[in-house]
Amino acid sequence: MKLREFAYSRSGDKGDIVNLCVFVYDDDNWEVLRRELTVEKVRDKFGSLVEGGITRYELPGTKGLNFVMTEALGGGVSMSLRTDPHGKSYQSLILEIDIDADEEIKPRLG
Amino acid sequence: MTSRSISIGSGSAYSTDRLDWAQELADSGLVDYMGFDCLAERTMALAQVRRLDDETAGHDQRIPELMRRFAGFLRRGGKMVGNFGAANPAAAADDVLRGMKLNGVAGVRVGVIHGDDVLDHVLDQDLEFPEMGVTAQAIADQVVSANAYIGADPIVELLDEGAQFILGGRIADPSLYVGPIAYEMGWALDDWEKMGIATLVAHLLECGTHATGGNYVDPPYRVLDDIVHLGFPLAHVSEDELIITKLEGTGGAVEIGTMKTQLAYEIHDPAAYLTPDSTADFSHVWVEEAGSNRVRVGGASGRPRPDSLKVLVGVDQGWKVVTEISYGGAGCVERAQLAAEVVAKRLEPYQSGIDEVRYDLHGMSALFDGQLPGGDPAEVRLRIAARCDDRETADAVAFEGQFLWMGPAGGGGVTTQMAPAIGVTPALLPREDVKLITEVIEA
Repeated sequence: MKLREFAYSRSGDKGDIVNLCVFVYDDDNWEVLRRELTVEKVRDKFGSLVEGGITRYELPGTKGLNFVMTEALGGGVSMSLRTDPHGKSYQSLILEIDIDADEEIKPRLG
Repeated sequence: MTSRSISIGSGSAYSTDRLDWAQELADSGLVDYMGFDCLAERTMALAQVRRLDDETAGHDQRIPELMRRFAGFLRRGGKMVGNFGAANPAAAADDVLRGMKLNGVAGVRVGVIHGDDVLDHVLDQDLEFPEMGVTAQAIADQVVSANAYIGADPIVELLDEGAQFILGGRIADPSLYVGPIAYEMGWALDDWEKMGIATLVAHLLECGTHATGGNYVDPPYRVLDDIVHLGFPLAHVSEDELIITKLEGTGGAVEIGTMKTQLAYEIHDPAAYLTPDSTADFSHVWVEEAGSNRVRVGGASGRPRPDSLKVLVGVDQGWKVVTEISYGGAGCVERAQLAAEVVAKRLEPYQSGIDEVRYDLHGMSALFDGQLPGGDPAEVRLRIAARCDDRETADAVAFEGQFLWMGPAGGGGVTTQMAPAIGVTPALLPREDVKLITEVIEA
């Protein structure tokens, strides 16, 4: 299933760096999120959009992950020629990632 | 002795944020303070460019409206803190004083913070710009501005001197709230644990309606009853608890989901959120429901603030031009792609003046660079964007975009935007090199 079925996200920018946080609707899905949403899967989904590195941080208090991507906006909001120089729409792209854990996950919409 | 507390509301999250809903919060009587962030990374550099053209400009253009809307709040003793000064705190103070007179506000002390403009220092010290891989002198003729992100210290100092309206230039977003919280709670600015807590509250307020349902709704997964008229967030801070809520009767929501997305918005390492006031640790922050549209938060901590201040440097990058045209019906993608190829050929004589150019198809691959393949669209919009050395080259790009009226077939709805391209790049300056001056004016 898509990540969107059990998690939500928001992206933000600083210079040419994007951060993308991901939280689970249901805390019971937190361990699956931690295990399945790897840097490799995020890198694969974002491909050419991110030219620099991707670092994953955890927020155990709120059961969330935070991905920090460098060289991710074509030069940052002031320089970028991209349609969305802030990367606001990235929060929708990460939710398209396929997560292979159908039997463990309780989806948001039954 | 009664225990200390503060109620503080968010009034603005960027330079053109809406003031009408913020006024509702100020007029509700629920808050003693309102914080106003008026600057994004680029806003500051653009303000500096306006000031270069006109020495009485370069500050927040909403001040006349602001004073009209918040005169009542000030008359009732409410306190306001904002980075309304942008590139010109002195001119902002003039506008504020004028606005107070016009709207019958008297006996108010206005605190002004000067000194975040460090352009001369950046050039004299030939500061390094790590993201660009150059030092200041190497591109001195392109450097148009440099402003240091300043913290809560001068805000606390001015509140202590009885200032009721405080403005400055590049006051860091969270510091607009950390200052009042520290002052009212009696928290020392080097009590890092408390600064981490104040920074958490500040971070949840600083983006305005981003915390109350803005940038959140995504049906059918995330649905809120009413997002037409969002409420601005406010916080009640005491030694016992931190409550975030919004004005009753407004739309949006303050709930666990809206809080979590704001908590992690624009932060990198959650255990080390760097601001001028602290190295805040949000990794163990928790959020719990405390009623309808009301949450309790906690678990923040902090470590010493960074020794350096971040400086944002504005760099002249020539001109940016964007031109668009739409194609519809069968073969629309092919015609748009052909149009892009034709324009690229026609622009070959101008190549030396074009730093970067890109061709995107809205409806196909403009947002995600083809990373998310879709089906056959009924229509597409070709977007040509270029950054050019000079206005003449940018004009040539615009001309070729418009000339697509002449084919391929069926192109319509041409639009063109053109503006000077001011880039911003970060640098670091030792804290002691930024000399801030505070001034109190009796209105």
